Amino acid sequence: MTVITHPRRRSNLAAMIDSAGGVSVGVALARARANTEALRARAMAVIDEQIGLLESLPPPTGPDDASTRLDQAYRASTALIDAAAPFELAELCRSAAGLCDLIGAVDPGAPFDWRIVTVHARSLRLLQALPPGATAERDRIVQSLSEVIDRKLAQAG
Amino acid sequence: MSGLGEALRESAVINLASASTMVVDDSPFALELTAQSLMGFGIRTRHACIGAAEAMEILRDQNIDLLVVDCDMPGIDGFELVRWLRRSGLEPNAFVPVIMTAAHIRRSRVAEARDCGANFIITKPFSAATLLERIVWVSRDGRPFLEVGDYFGPDRRFRKSPAPGDERRVDLIRKKAFEDQKAQAAAGVDAA
Repeated sequence: MTVITHPRRRSNLAAMIDSAGGVSVGVALARARANTEALRARAMAVIDEQIGLLESLPPPTGPDDASTRLDQAYRASTALIDAAAPFELAELCRSAAGLCDLIGAVDPGAPFDWRIVTVHARSLRLLQALPPGATAERDRIVQSLSEVIDRKLAQAG
Repeated sequence: MSGLGEALRESAVINLASASTMVVDDSPFALELTAQSLMGFGIRTRHACIGAAEAMEILRDQNIDLLVVDCDMPGIDGFELVRWLRRSGLEPNAFVPVIMTAAHIRRSRVAEARDCGANFIITKPFSAATLLERIVWVSRDGRPFLEVGDYFGPDRRFRKSPAPGDERRVDLIRKKAFEDQKAQAAAGVDAA
């Protein structure tokens, strides 16, 4: 196979990153965290909305709308991850990612056990409601969801 | 501090205030989260696009220094956008550092993620520190760009040590042949 190599030119970023002025990494990170923190309330509202969407999704009535429903569940889960990611809500992200893994692994047209979506929606709601100190409960929920996903992924091949 | 996976020193100073940056994300809230993190780093998002089509229009007309793009978008997704950009022939945008972000990558799309030509893909959740590390890393990314079959983008091979088994990398085979030839020629001169 032919390989054409383009010697890499220095990017503009490379030229500017070490130029005079700027900000220390410590200050940059502190500012970024503060900027993000200011959006926490909105992020929580988005998370709430996406869990509500998952809860309200009806099971597919047949093979025709199965892919639409799965796509809706997938999109709600990724939107939840988008909103939760900067706020160290690792359990919410992990649980939503598990559902995405399963939906992503399903062959189009193959039967899908919709109860998984329902269980995830309930678990996400519970994770959201638990106080920050309830680490053991959170771990238990995440662990049991993870086991369900592993089992289903093994079945899906 | 420029190595992949190396933590940034808190006291290191960076200056990306004049970088012309584009962020593309179909979710306005996710876009704002990214833009606010960048703002903390001193990087102003000059172009905030909620779709790839809008981004393409701008990329045809204006030079940018950094592209941060979400992978999963309806219509033209992030992978297609980056693949288009790399093959667009737009100078210098076709070679711009590209960081892709993803809440999740479907198993069926992993190959596309690898082959689209991005400098780096980071999956969520990631911290502000991780994002900044990747920006610093891509800004110093010295990999050449390769055109191989359908692929156009930075050399995807990170391995510095020899690969197990026979070397299959064409450029390294050529380089070794060239060096062997040179060594033989030098040995010939010495013998004479």
